[in-house]
Amino acid sequence: MDDVNPVPLTFRFIAALALMVLLVPVLIVVLAGLNSGEYLTFPPEGFSLRWVENFFTSPTFLPAFKLSFGLALATTLISTVLGTLASIFLTRSASKAREFLRGLFFLPVVLPGVVLGLALYVFFIWTDVGLARSLAGLIIGHVLVTMPFVIATVTASLVDLDLSVEEAARSLGATPLQAFWKVTLPLITPGISAGSIFAFIVSFGQFELTLFLATPDLQTLPLAIYSSLRYAFEPTAAAAGIFAICLVTVSTLISTRLSNLKKLLSRR
Amino acid sequence: MSDIRLEQLTKSYGDSVAVDSVSLQIREGEFYALLGPSGCGKSTTLRMVAGFVKPTAGRIVVDGQNLTPLPPEKRDIGIVFQNYAIFPHMSVADNIAFGLKLRKKSRSEIDTAVRAALEQVGLTGFEDRFQRNLSGGQQQRVALARVLVTEPRILLLDEPLSALDKTLREEMKFWIKNLQQKLGITTIYVTHDQDEALTMSDRIGVMRAGQIEQSGTPQQIYEEPGTLFVTSFIGQSNILDVKCLEVKEHKATIELGGQVLQASTHHLIGKGTGAKLVIRPENVLMGQEAEAQGVPLLAATVLDETYQGAMLRYRLEVAGQEIVAERQNQFHLEKWDPGAVVRIGWTERRARVLPEDGAGSSSG
Repeated sequence: MDDVNPVPLTFRFIAALALMVLLVPVLIVVLAGLNSGEYLTFPPEGFSLRWVENFFTSPTFLPAFKLSFGLALATTLISTVLGTLASIFLTRSASKAREFLRGLFFLPVVLPGVVLGLALYVFFIWTDVGLARSLAGLIIGHVLVTMPFVIATVTASLVDLDLSVEEAARSLGATPLQAFWKVTLPLITPGISAGSIFAFIVSFGQFELTLFLATPDLQTLPLAIYSSLRYAFEPTAAAAGIFAICLVTVSTLISTRLSNLKKLLSRR
Repeated sequence: MSDIRLEQLTKSYGDSVAVDSVSLQIREGEFYALLGPSGCGKSTTLRMVAGFVKPTAGRIVVDGQNLTPLPPEKRDIGIVFQNYAIFPHMSVADNIAFGLKLRKKSRSEIDTAVRAALEQVGLTGFEDRFQRNLSGGQQQRVALARVLVTEPRILLLDEPLSALDKTLREEMKFWIKNLQQKLGITTIYVTHDQDEALTMSDRIGVMRAGQIEQSGTPQQIYEEPGTLFVTSFIGQSNILDVKCLEVKEHKATIELGGQVLQASTHHLIGKGTGAKLVIRPENVLMGQEAEAQGVPLLAATVLDETYQGAMLRYRLEVAGQEIVAERQNQFHLEKWDPGAVVRIGWTERRARVLPEDGAGSSSG
């Protein structure tokens, strides 16, 4: 028996094309990183792990990778907590300021990173509280650009949440805080984890904003790749790219697996 | 077990009044239904009692204690929602244990209570199930068990049957009523379904536009409706335009199509003013039945007849107005064809005179 395929052939063709456009550059980076030649060229002259090794021994790339990883972790943590709190306010409050605040929270996504970076830089210098050119300032910048992603996903799950389960918890004797921890939070966890993955990936790859806030001794991976390509056209940059791609892929896989696992466990 | 009193409970949102000075006293162990169309304020009233909505004015008093300033978790009032609100991330056992855990009961106490509650609602063996593996009726039983296990002072039921299919609804109606009687728990039941209210309640409060129009036993509500709204909301009624000649000691003398008739009333209606005569289709007597009762008779023309199995439904015209009569479909009773002229009548007790909507005052 033939199944009628609901997706027209044209659509499938377009989808395949789009997927190719998205994935081919990734493939090129990976292949370029495994190049055995002296320069970043494509197609590679032969395959070797020399640039991968170079990544580990390079005085800039490995520290930059570690910094980006740590920065993304810290950003994700702060962004997830603040973003979740903001979402609760945005969905629950009857305040008139709500729409204004929603706009404000999403502004960093709309504004060009360069504008935001410059604005933050000037603001940090002007306030002169030691945030300019510091790790703390960098984290603040990254939280600003990643939080909208958390807010978007968490808001979506809060809107879907049936308020009567919270009310049921309250009338069974739970304080507002207990109802939140025992009922609301577990139910919006999928939204929160999706938001935190976004935050991590966005922070790890953040470039324009970081350009303004980083210092020579605070080089994130995107910045390190950029400067290495400017001054030496080395395949190490591509090798670093391989690691960045791996990290993002692995973190995405782990978190989806984790949230799926939770679902599977509760389904029994 | 507790009694509950609502004192001029009011809730307004800006200019619109959702609940308008509702006063109500519900006895210990009583099953009280708030019945009304959507938007009449019955749910808002219930949510104020539960503590989810803060009243604009008035008080909620349980066992002499003013609950109005207390948050829901301090009220000891259980509520079952229309959609049951089972916690989807917890098993049935954890759902039921939820309130007990918050009350810091010991593990063994909780286990015993959960088992007993499941047995009570007939769901033994469902401990490890989750919401998505439960039918609507089962979810409702879990929701009830979850509430009852905490031994609340008052039980609130918010349209608990409206999400179920018809057969199950009939079954649950009696099941809930039985459970309520067995436990003797004071219950407020919100519904828009008159059948549920009539069959389950000890008393019914019919609500309209934020106010209780009439409060009484199902029999009083059905047989002695106090207003035209209650009349038309509960069951079917013929509402005829009549002229009121005199009202004396709950008896009204009226005129319909030149015929002077008697009917009962609880209202003071001015002489010579227009009024409404309200009579249920099953109380309209026809032919020999009417004559045998010795009541004043009116000539009516049969417009049509509808066959309803056990009942025959006649649409009649009397004095230029339409009136519906329902007769039992039994072989020995008279039947009429459309166009036939038939004498109809009713006993004084079964016909009620009400003032035109908004006019007149009740004399109790």
